[in-house]
Amino acid sequence: MKTLEELRQFYDTTLINKLTVLEAQRKAVVKKVSIVAVVILAVIAVVLIVMRGAIAQSAMFALFPVVFGLVILGVITHLMARGYVGQFKDVVIYGIVKFIDETLSYSKHGYIGESVFRACEIFKRQPDRYKGDDLVAGKLGATEIEFSEIHAEYKTTTTDSKGRRKTHWHTIFKGLFFISDFNKDFACEVVVLPDTAERFLGRLGQMFQSWNIGRGELIKLEDPEFEKLFAVYSDDQIQARYILSTSLMKRIVDFKKRTGRQIFLSFIRSRIYVAVSYNKSLFEPRLLRTLIDFAPIQGYFEDLQVAIGIADDLNLNTRIWSKQ
Amino acid sequence: MTMLIVVIVIAVIVVGIPILIYNSLVGKKNQVLNVFGSIDALLKKRYDLIPNLVSTVKTYMKHERGTLTDITELRAKAVSGKLSDDERVDLDNKISGMLGGIMVAVENYPDLKANQNFLQLQAAMNEIEEQISAARRAYNAAVTDYNNALEMFPSNIVASMMRYERKRLFEISEKERENVNVGELFKSE
Repeated sequence: MKTLEELRQFYDTTLINKLTVLEAQRKAVVKKVSIVAVVILAVIAVVLIVMRGAIAQSAMFALFPVVFGLVILGVITHLMARGYVGQFKDVVIYGIVKFIDETLSYSKHGYIGESVFRACEIFKRQPDRYKGDDLVAGKLGATEIEFSEIHAEYKTTTTDSKGRRKTHWHTIFKGLFFISDFNKDFACEVVVLPDTAERFLGRLGQMFQSWNIGRGELIKLEDPEFEKLFAVYSDDQIQARYILSTSLMKRIVDFKKRTGRQIFLSFIRSRIYVAVSYNKSLFEPRLLRTLIDFAPIQGYFEDLQVAIGIADDLNLNTRIWSKQ
Repeated sequence: MTMLIVVIVIAVIVVGIPILIYNSLVGKKNQVLNVFGSIDALLKKRYDLIPNLVSTVKTYMKHERGTLTDITELRAKAVSGKLSDDERVDLDNKISGMLGGIMVAVENYPDLKANQNFLQLQAAMNEIEEQISAARRAYNAAVTDYNNALEMFPSNIVASMMRYERKRLFEISEKERENVNVGELFKSE
């Protein structure tokens, strides 16, 4: 596991030179965007002056040109920054991934497939829109790992009193999705979900959990700390405990505490799936912030380390069982 | 008319709830039996590995001949099936202790540690141990569930009518805790 010290050194010796080149590119993009922004704002101002008669009657009329102008500005910014974002990922994210482990591969456009997400059993709601990026894959010790950022959503359509249909998108999951080979062979399915009912309702909550339709049996585990944080479902009481050994439970609790995020896990056909929820978009540059700064680099490093560290955190490289 | 409905509702409550409680108690008792059966099956699987293990390590281990003979005898006794539950638990503890001892003694025989056959057996042993421990934990969870129902109101009333008695949890002896550590020893390899 690489330390912050080592990252600092890597930043000072290798990364900084590449960042300086990128920084010039960023400034050029910001300059272009600023010019476009000034032009668009000027056009909006002219339109507002032309429309002042209508605006005097109702302020609502002012809204259209402003919103329209800002949307166009957003789209143009996105298009202009696209090349820069790609370059940034090729240099910074790729660099940090290789710095953490030389053997890992990185693809900025790749992501964990939708079929894998659908098969993981963690999320019962199937997505209507699914996207992702920043796929990292490779082998750490004996363990094959793969993860990417993904965003899965479903939609609902409502019709208001005037008969207008409106589509709403709701997030099922956004964050890091990690898959790897598990170190024991097993045939059952185990799902570990964040516990909400038990924390607030105690035993009554446990009763509700056991009625959870569409999941297997509720598995009551003996680690009180783990039980407070997670609810476990499986179709096999014994195999579930074989997978969730006392040490693995402890490791999951530590992982959850260290990241401080919502964590979902499932174990299916000798593979482990871990979903770590994030509100922000991961591994994206901030256009209006300077690149020559260690803090954001440390942020990317830590986010990557969360996923790459899972194999170590959950001790997946211990191969003392029949599965090698 | 209202009277009739009230009577029906009360009758459903009076008859229905005890039936539900009765069924859930039977379910809990059978869950305990079911898991206990699985422990038995796993222990048998472990016994099946012993002859293999003994024949593999015999040629290498010069100083542990006595232990190897003892463990073979104990295994023969364990699979003969003419034992009470207490005797079986006792015998099983002894076998666990001996297996642990053998696995530690392996450290003194580098040739053995490089033997492919032995390595496979060792992995199979670790797996079985882990499964047995999982089954014991499942058993304890099932028993706790069952014992809770026996003591909590209102199921305790039905349970006492059914003459259900509390069941004992599997307690892990000091010796077996050491066994778990034996597993840890091999992790470093």
